[in-house]
Amino acid sequence: MRALLKLLLAPLLLLLGVEALFRAGAWEPFARPDSHAGTSILRKRALSSPAYRRIDYVTLGSSRPEYGLDHEALAALAQRHGRVHANLSMPGSHWMTLDVLGDWLARAHPEVRGGIIALSIQDFLFAGNGAYELGIVYPFHRLADVRGMAQHVPFTREDPATWGLISALFEYREDVRDALLHPRERRDSLAWWHARPAEELLRQNTHRDEDMCAFGLDALDACDKVEVAGGERAAGLARQCRELRSGAKGRFDLTAMTRQQPQPEFLQLTRDLVRARLRSLRWSTPPIVVLMPAPRVWQDAVSPSGLHDWALDVLRPLTEDGSIHLIDATTALETDGRTDCRLFFDFYHQNDAGRARLMETLLPQIAALLYDARAAPAPP
Amino acid sequence: MLFNSFHFVVFFLLVLALNQALRRWPTAQKLMLLAASYYFYGQWSWIYLGLILWSTLLDYAIGLGLVRVSHPRRLLWLSLATNLGLLAFFKYANFLIANWNGVATAVAPTWQLTPLDVLLPVGISFYTFQSLSYVIDVYRGTSRPRRNLLDYALFVAFFPQLEAGPIVRDYEFFSELDGDRRVDAARVQEALVLIAFGFVKKMVFADNLARFADPVFDAPAQHGFWDVLLAVYAFAFQIYGDFSGYTDIAIGCALLLGFRYPQNFNYPYVAQTLQDFWRRWHMSLSRWLRDYLYISLGGNRHGPMRTYIALMLTMLLGGLWHGASWNFVLWGGVHGAWLALERGLLQRSALWRSESAPARALRWFVTFQVVCLAWVFFRSKTLADALTIFSTLAAPTAVAFDRANHGGIALLLAGLLAAHLLGGTRGTKTRLATAGAGPYATAMAALVLLLVLFTPQTSAPFIYFQF
Repeated sequence: MRALLKLLLAPLLLLLGVEALFRAGAWEPFARPDSHAGTSILRKRALSSPAYRRIDYVTLGSSRPEYGLDHEALAALAQRHGRVHANLSMPGSHWMTLDVLGDWLARAHPEVRGGIIALSIQDFLFAGNGAYELGIVYPFHRLADVRGMAQHVPFTREDPATWGLISALFEYREDVRDALLHPRERRDSLAWWHARPAEELLRQNTHRDEDMCAFGLDALDACDKVEVAGGERAAGLARQCRELRSGAKGRFDLTAMTRQQPQPEFLQLTRDLVRARLRSLRWSTPPIVVLMPAPRVWQDAVSPSGLHDWALDVLRPLTEDGSIHLIDATTALETDGRTDCRLFFDFYHQNDAGRARLMETLLPQIAALLYDARAAPAPP
Repeated sequence: MLFNSFHFVVFFLLVLALNQALRRWPTAQKLMLLAASYYFYGQWSWIYLGLILWSTLLDYAIGLGLVRVSHPRRLLWLSLATNLGLLAFFKYANFLIANWNGVATAVAPTWQLTPLDVLLPVGISFYTFQSLSYVIDVYRGTSRPRRNLLDYALFVAFFPQLEAGPIVRDYEFFSELDGDRRVDAARVQEALVLIAFGFVKKMVFADNLARFADPVFDAPAQHGFWDVLLAVYAFAFQIYGDFSGYTDIAIGCALLLGFRYPQNFNYPYVAQTLQDFWRRWHMSLSRWLRDYLYISLGGNRHGPMRTYIALMLTMLLGGLWHGASWNFVLWGGVHGAWLALERGLLQRSALWRSESAPARALRWFVTFQVVCLAWVFFRSKTLADALTIFSTLAAPTAVAFDRANHGGIALLLAGLLAAHLLGGTRGTKTRLATAGAGPYATAMAALVLLLVLFTPQTSAPFIYFQF
């Protein structure tokens, strides 16, 4: 029996050793920089540079704030007050990222006193946004976080993309395979990224100057125009159109659902998780939650009707008890109920002009909330 | 139920536990193994399980009858006609109809027949051959009939070998069934090494190589010289990984249940002649074809010409055994022709017979190319596709080697070939099966690591299941 145990246990222990190494971040220096995990690793690496030894404020969120907020202006504002503001928004970030990254910041940078959490109303529909988010949080997570992560993306045996919850080897397996298949490209891209200064990643804006006026942003017929247009850009927009059409096809009445007693389980789960995640941030100033501008087509044709109200309902108790400051910019880039097509470069994201327009109103509010002691009430 | 499924893992662990628990009650143990085997097959089709039961009962009765009746030959013919009739109906009826319709189109279109709506029963080629070998052996007097129906039913349906072999002979199976089937640590180590190697061959190598080879074989006209050449070699290693991987898992599982099965693959791509190849590739089928077909056709006892004819017929039928398509027949034909050529001409050449290193290298190289090129018929969907591949290889239009597209796969194939040649001379698997705790644990961990890191998201079914 002992011999049999040895036969099974010895290889298993070795495997667990490799798994532990991956869990501990042994693969992080080699991870693909433009993958979800790689994006996080680059930011984690940048945060270890001397310029960011002390951080006061952070911006968290997805690609919407990545493009839609002026990180250079926020960093400059902080600098004027003798503070450091780091942009940690990453494409694909959702509630799981907020949870795990928030915890990591509390451990690695307990000095962080506050920040901006930029979301869109679509983020309030579901607790999870897909297994890809495991990649974003992996470099920041601890074993103890796994249970919380599974609340956003449950483990499903049939879906290997979720196996990252139980094994770091599974989480990084595509990355390892890619590195072995393209070792030279991996080495070159890592060298290129590692040569970038930390400031570039944590405070610079990402620039886009195209607009959507050739297609429109108010109704699904914009997609008809996209589909007849040729070229690389139209191909990218066509991919978004597939998501839009799929959303429109499955559109439902959220208002009616929210009136049900009890509310559907997925709504209860989302509501409770969102509130718990935002309350769990251990910052000395309440986080500023910004609801980012959403083109009209989302509200009128794609997102479930009543989503905006639902998002506000979820956040209301938090604003009322002072846990957060809310800036609702969902319709900030609209004129007479129409989205200004000059301010977006696709169906999701603002362009440079859109960022500038939003910041005209947003920056003073943020400045007041973060740096004006009178305007910023003490947390409860 | 596929070996590479979660369902099988759970099923097998349960069977293993029950097999261990029932080891003091042999009849109960056999009953459990038979029930498990029928369940295993029933997961694919409970209806077609009836075919296995029919084959079992018929050949069991015929086996007993062969030693009692005065005209055993009639019983033999009854078994051959019934077993091969069922095989022909399920496997070849639509092939014959399609060929008939081809002729009828030209001669009399009204004579066309409607294809039958039948599904090929998984494993029918394997269990039919296994059951037939028993009847022929009893008829020849080389085996005694098995009186215990339970034993015989288990011989036909034992799940590790049921769906894709190896084709085990009755004496091999029954000597294990009757013998001491205790599983000690050495056996477990050997079995685990086999199973791990099997999964790696199938899921890491075969399934990944398929991702390169499949698009080329699916649309050969759209690919250039290097794509086609590399796809041919990729398929050679894909089918080896796929089938020998399956066999390794089957033999490993049988070993854990206390049955030692004969080897079915022995590094076939190190072969120096095609005859040597067939002593290393699907050895249980080669033995079957040799013992029941080639020898029955006269073998080499009636002069060279009869030998060549016997060789050719054996290989043509062996090709047809793989599938109802002219491509398989051609594949068998290429092998038959080259085997005849080796026997007739090449053996007379001093260079071919020389044991010098260059001569051995030349023999190996030529044999490997013949095997790989013959796979083109095996893998291509149509004869036209196969001819497109050969014409691309013979008269390439674009011969520039694109390092970005071809470098990785070329390197992988070179590595696999090197590992195969090295394994063939050093017996890596055998050495690991008896290695000490350190090397064993390291190798097993490395194999599992390969599985975790390189198994594609979707694994293709085993190729030989369709035969």
